[in-house]
Amino acid sequence: MNIDLEWRNFDVLVIGSGGAGTNAAETAAKAGASVLLVAKDPLSASDTKISEGIATVRASGSEDDTEEVLSENLKIAGSDLPVEEITSAFAKDSQTAYDKYRENGLRPEISSITKGPNSLPLPMGGHTRRRSVGHKNSGLAFGHANWNAIVKENKIEYLEDCWVIDLVTSEYDDNRRTVEGAIIYDAQKGKLLAICAPSVVMAAGGLSTLYFPKTDTMRGNTGDSYAIAARAGAELVDMEQTQFLPFCLTSPPSFEGLLGGEPVTASYLGVLRDKNKKVILDGVYLRTRAECSAAIMKAVEDGRGTPNGGAYLDMRANKRAPKSGTYFMKFLKNSLPSAYNNVRQAMNKKEAQCDELWEVRPSAHYMMGGIRVDANGKSIADKNSNNGVQGLYAAGQAMGGLFGANRLGSTSLTEGAVFGSRAGLAAALYSRNFNNKKINKDLFFKEAYKLDDLLGQKGTKHASQLKIQVQKECWNNLGPIRDKKRLKKTQKFISRCRKDLKKIQIRKNLLWNQSLIEYLELVNMIDTAELMTYAALERDGSVGGHVRADCKDISIFSKPYSTIVKVRKSHIEVSKIDRKRTELKKLVEFKFKEQKRFLEAKLLRLLPMRLKDAIIEKRYKKIMGSKEQAPPLEPGSIEAAVGDQRVS
Amino acid sequence: MNRRPQHSSAYLEVTIIAHKEGQDLPTKFKYKKRNEREKPMALDVLLQAQENQLPDLAFRYGCRARNCGVCTIDINGKPRIACRAVVRDGDELKAMSTLPAITDLVVRRDQISRQLKGKIYEGGRKNDLNVEASEDYHELTSCIECYACLDNCPMHEKNFSETEKDPDYFQWGNPFSLLKLQTIASDPISTVARKEAAVTEALNLGLETCVSCPGCKCGVGIDLKGKVIKPLLQTSKLVD
Ligand SMILES: Cc1cc2nc3c(=O)[nH]c(=O)nc-3n(C[C@H](O)[C@H](O)[C@H](O)COP(=O)(O)OP(=O)(O)OC[C@H]3O[C@@H](n4cnc5c(N)ncnc54)[C@H](O)[C@@H]3O)c2cc1C
Ligand code: SF4
Ligand code: SF4
Ligand code: FES
Repeated sequence: MNIDLEWRNFDVLVIGSGGAGTNAAETAAKAGASVLLVAKDPLSASDTKISEGIATVRASGSEDDTEEVLSENLKIAGSDLPVEEITSAFAKDSQTAYDKYRENGLRPEISSITKGPNSLPLPMGGHTRRRSVGHKNSGLAFGHANWNAIVKENKIEYLEDCWVIDLVTSEYDDNRRTVEGAIIYDAQKGKLLAICAPSVVMAAGGLSTLYFPKTDTMRGNTGDSYAIAARAGAELVDMEQTQFLPFCLTSPPSFEGLLGGEPVTASYLGVLRDKNKKVILDGVYLRTRAECSAAIMKAVEDGRGTPNGGAYLDMRANKRAPKSGTYFMKFLKNSLPSAYNNVRQAMNKKEAQCDELWEVRPSAHYMMGGIRVDANGKSIADKNSNNGVQGLYAAGQAMGGLFGANRLGSTSLTEGAVFGSRAGLAAALYSRNFNNKKINKDLFFKEAYKLDDLLGQKGTKHASQLKIQVQKECWNNLGPIRDKKRLKKTQKFISRCRKDLKKIQIRKNLLWNQSLIEYLELVNMIDTAELMTYAALERDGSVGGHVRADCKDISIFSKPYSTIVKVRKSHIEVSKIDRKRTELKKLVEFKFKEQKRFLEAKLLRLLPMRLKDAIIEKRYKKIMGSKEQAPPLEPGSIEAAVGDQRVS
Repeated sequence: MNRRPQHSSAYLEVTIIAHKEGQDLPTKFKYKKRNEREKPMALDVLLQAQENQLPDLAFRYGCRARNCGVCTIDINGKPRIACRAVVRDGDELKAMSTLPAITDLVVRRDQISRQLKGKIYEGGRKNDLNVEASEDYHELTSCIECYACLDNCPMHEKNFSETEKDPDYFQWGNPFSLLKLQTIASDPISTVARKEAAVTEALNLGLETCVSCPGCKCGVGIDLKGKVIKPLLQTSKLVD
């Protein structure tokens, strides 16, 4: 072998320095474990850092927001695919987990009424209560908190610019495996690391880069979490459930895919229109992201899409109302500052002022499925919760089972803290059983040899360019609208890609070898996409983030199930697992209330201007206190930044 | 608004300077505009170069939206956030000069965070969490950690006159590290001891250099001179 391995031992290896990884590392270290945190991006640079920074904190907006209410809200919004044990854990820990970010420097606005974190004026789309807390500087405030958590003490070791290639596992009987550690490519130092650790917390984020540039996430979301876990033998759940954010930008090119707004942005009078300006969705501000995205894509499929393959978001009515109109613009700027900042830079003045329509198109944002875990992030399989990969834990976007068919806005930052902490603790406790574990070095060498073969591979193809082809394929055939024919096409495409892997040119050097990095990520993208096609074919009906043009919608009253995919020696296994349906009575009540709200929204929109203007003005006044005014110049805004300018 | 002359051409020519094993290798690259009105950002140019001409070109990026702070490069010798820096004909794109280059446009970054490792210990008490922070505190947390402020910082420059070539962490400070320390000093939940420790740490990093320095400039518009350096110099009694 040409490569030297650098050997290190830890109790817990955490992969990822976003919200989930950071909380896992901090909690594991507090429990006394020796922890190594690695990330391929610089410390704390992650989806968490670039997010809108809105976090779900139970009961921040109303007293009647009990754990049951929140847990049920997630479960029903996810079409009963979420696992009750996991949604309950989320509801139970949301406040304490949020406080962990605060202990590391996150400072929200404090409500004069509750004396706690102040929630946004309106419930975010699909939430039945106001419970989303926004923050100055959006996700950056979370990025700093995570940075502080890792840097502040000497307890946690961290390495950046490190790509985890694969977990090292041992097989103990018939397909059942135990984690031994991981093989990691340290690009910064030009080294290969053999990290021996009895437990690993996978918190390496999502897969939205499969759809680049039609995504608003970090470039590193190449499906590493899922591909690495699946290759190690873990089961994945609900992998057909990609969340597309409905209102993303289509142009100019530098802004393509970035977030423009959320359903709530549309406020009381916003509607979606097709290219003929016909209304395709009403009461937009009350809808979930999945509903809005599906409405847009169905219109596109029908040939009624806008020039860039989307729809028009029309908020003119909000603006035109003589009295409430002034409140609306304030509302828009304050509720999602960084999304609105994108709009101001990318669109023309009239559009940015909502006097003209916004052309919007869904963008990949989040994978709701993921590694199948229990409420403590432990990998589980089959019917027996002890049959997962021993020593493997997952948290954050990497895990599945919390959101099912739809993730409500603002829940993911909280998810990272809740399940990061739970997984970190569980991993630390598990590792206590393995003091002085004997290391089977051969298992590590076996993984490392694979890399040895790759370095210097000759060929005519380039991984960075193949990635672009994969991205086009995924958008067209595994994207926001799917059917059997397209999914089969993607599978064929993937098997062709696999053949091409051997023709990819890879340089020999170890120091920051971009061709190797691109190759490793390409393989993860292909593996993940393939697993997704199996899940997407298995789910022969539309539900949530999975829209099948060739099948009927799956009714919320039918028997819910999740899809499971796993990699076996020579093939992929796919199956279904039943989920518990929410009591019929509650479902009917939920649906009834929802329909009532939609109807009320529609009626309000159709009222004469004078009447609705007065009603809406009152509502804005109620929801926006005097504190809601934007500061004249926000640091980080285009006005404040040097070298930045409007593009169109 | 100051309008620059429109480029009529469908192309834009730039020079990409790649760092390879200690050497700088320039490559001319012709960027093909995706529509005639396009004013591409430096990141668009790098992505297209990777797609069409330099498939293994190494550069950092993440969010494409001036949030993650990792894409900073030098354009014509000045640090710019690549995803939001409009490129003009003839521009020269290169790795940031203030940090050690690894490959192509990628620099090593972690020597900065490591200089504070273990030094910003916990100091808040749980029951204090429901207090609001000042506007100044929030201005500091708008830092995206792009390191554009390292440019022309005499304190940071001292790191490169030391004998050890590529240490694990930099001994001398920089505007970003001072910003982190001032954040602690202005955090309403910090104890007095923690605030004092932050200022002591600033002194250890070489705060006295700031006394005679004209001041630093932030890539996203944070008032570093007024909100970081001035308060630190005052609390440390280096100036009145
Ligand atoms: C623009 C935007 C706005 C958002 N707004 C909100 C919001 O307001 N509220 C909300 O709740 N959610 C929001 N989200 C979603 C939320 O930010 C993410 O879902 C969440 O932060 C994911 O956290 P995570 O810790 O699981 O992963 P991430 O934060 O994405 O972290 C992943 C980490 O894994 C590392 N990594 C990946 N692969 C590897 C590998 N192979 N080896 C080593 N390291 C690896 C990365 O470097 C990174 O450190 C938003 C997302 C985006 C993109
Ligand atoms: S202080 Fe400004 S220039 Fe320096 S790292 Fe932070 S954002 Fe960048
Ligand atoms: S004021 Fe201090 S931190 Fe800022 S550039 Fe000068 S020496 Fe560096
Ligand atoms: S890519 Fe994130 S700041 Fe430029």
